[in-house]
Amino acid sequence: MGKKLLEIKGLKVHYITDDGTVPAVDGIDMEIEEGESLGLVGETGAGKTTTALGVMNLVPDPPGEIVDGEIIFNGENLREKSREAYRKIRGNKISMIFQDPMTSLNPVYTVFDQLEEVIKLHQKVSSSEALQRAKEMLAKVGIPEERGEEYPHQFSGGMKQRVLIAIALACNPALLIADEPTTALDVTIQAQVLEVMKDLKKQFNMAMILITHDLGVVSEICEKVAIMYAGKIVEFADLESLFTKPSHPYTVGLFNSIPDPEEDVTELTPIKGLIPEPTELPPGCVFHPRCPDVMEVCKGSFPETVELSPTHRVACYKYHEGIGGEPK
Amino acid sequence: MMQEKLLEVENLQKIFSTPRGDLHAVDNINFFVREGETLGLVGESGCGKSTTGRMIVRLSPPTSGRILFQGQDVHSLKKKQLKEIRRNIQMVFQDPFSSLNPRMSVSDLIKESFDIHRVFRKEKEREEKVLEIMEVVGLSPRLVNSYPHELDGGRRQRVGIARAIALNPKCIVLDEPVSALDVSVQAQILNLLDRLQEEFQLTYLFIAHDLSVVKHVSDRIAVMYVGKIVELTDYKTIFKEPLHPYSRALISAIPTPNLRKKKERIILEGDVPSPINPGPGCRFFPRCRERIDSICKEKEPEMREVKPGHFVACHREE
Repeated sequence: MGKKLLEIKGLKVHYITDDGTVPAVDGIDMEIEEGESLGLVGETGAGKTTTALGVMNLVPDPPGEIVDGEIIFNGENLREKSREAYRKIRGNKISMIFQDPMTSLNPVYTVFDQLEEVIKLHQKVSSSEALQRAKEMLAKVGIPEERGEEYPHQFSGGMKQRVLIAIALACNPALLIADEPTTALDVTIQAQVLEVMKDLKKQFNMAMILITHDLGVVSEICEKVAIMYAGKIVEFADLESLFTKPSHPYTVGLFNSIPDPEEDVTELTPIKGLIPEPTELPPGCVFHPRCPDVMEVCKGSFPETVELSPTHRVACYKYHEGIGGEPK
Repeated sequence: MMQEKLLEVENLQKIFSTPRGDLHAVDNINFFVREGETLGLVGESGCGKSTTGRMIVRLSPPTSGRILFQGQDVHSLKKKQLKEIRRNIQMVFQDPFSSLNPRMSVSDLIKESFDIHRVFRKEKEREEKVLEIMEVVGLSPRLVNSYPHELDGGRRQRVGIARAIALNPKCIVLDEPVSALDVSVQAQILNLLDRLQEEFQLTYLFIAHDLSVVKHVSDRIAVMYVGKIVELTDYKTIFKEPLHPYSRALISAIPTPNLRKKKERIILEGDVPSPINPGPGCRFFPRCRERIDSICKEKEPEMREVKPGHFVACHREE
């Protein structure tokens, strides 16, 4: 594959609240190559959206703050950029689609207005050229040109999400961050939108971070997967390895929690307990109170990441030499 | 295996008047639920599944048609009989964040139904009963005086379930009980519902949009589309041999977390049509890949039993 597009090293984003500091993202590493798509998977409060906001430099401050780490995009550390410089990247080189298509569009502007806005902001084009480009983008996401004159409330949920995709892709970004893009949609509409995204990703040779809680969606569209739990990436692997050899006990638990429509299972084996309060994270490995394979060492400190193969790494003591008794 | 029919729905219809015309939310549906079984009702947003559930528990009157619970028409009962039926049909709502009164503690929330139905009049007895129910649904006794905002989604939904089972009902209408929850919590609640059904011989009407969840819990499944039931059969057949083109598309659209069994995906064109002033033909006709132009647009398909226990409403199957 190609060269590295985005590299995140030791990123920490904390929210400082009255109840204490919440380490929403607590030292994560990941990398994405050009044209590659990464699924960022985890449950509510895992830190997926905060990671995305960190990359976009949109963490609400206060209470949020990027306290440490590097975000290297195309060889440049984004954390050293000024606000003006960041504005030129956002929506242009890196775009984001938010979860809720119902509230992400401005209700008082037509779809064309909103598409043209982003094009004019980032490209030196005339109004007529911008309109031309807006029409092309609508066609690409499968919306008839004439509907561009309409307002968001005249569109259905699936159509609105496609408009957002068109806006996000209007400047041909190198990286698209899609935060739960299909969660608010019905399954048959979700299938339509995923199809459009897959298609455009290929056409534009664009890299993508797909944030989701649905491993099914990940298996449709991603090449790499990062599993997040309580601010940490606990497992990072290529799609094949993660689905055939899930290694972190949390990942295994997630798979066992999903009813598979192809199989006939009478009882699910969910992960016991609940996600910890973000202000009261357990010491040691954050997953240890819920882990079926917990050992004494897990209560002490968070485990170092171990490479199971060049494309598969996991943060768990089970795979530490001399501790887990399960050498790779 | 053939138990008695506990709940029967006959030609049920609900029409809402809107400024733009009549909205056919539920349009002449028929089904029954046997004692002790789970009937899954699936469909996409706006197909009328929740409206159906609300009519069954009498939160909304039907425009026409009947709902029979143990042979009695739920909507034509006198006050006293109604109370008895209400006790026997309970409901669990989708959103555990808005369906619990924020000013009532867990104990008050569970006790509320004791007051309404005047059971367990002695305070001590009531408190014991509350703790007993909390244990059954897996809530720690230390939460007895907590308020909803102090609980996470999974625990709140357990309170919702505790309220529903407090009076030992026969039937529970579960309206998307797990869709607001994270997967690991969702699995815990599904297992709890399974256990309760066995322990108390409950009958469930399970309403959801997620077919994999519905398949996991149901004995039989009814697929709804824009106010109509298009197919109804047992949970295995609907996945193995779905007959209605909409059921086929719906099943193929589920993203499965399984790399080995990637299936052929049917991508439907267009959006779900508006249920306002629907045309004379099949509701699925504009998106159907197998439509027969001469019939499907003009005539509504009837529900027919094509194999024992397998009902489908499609002109292709006639």
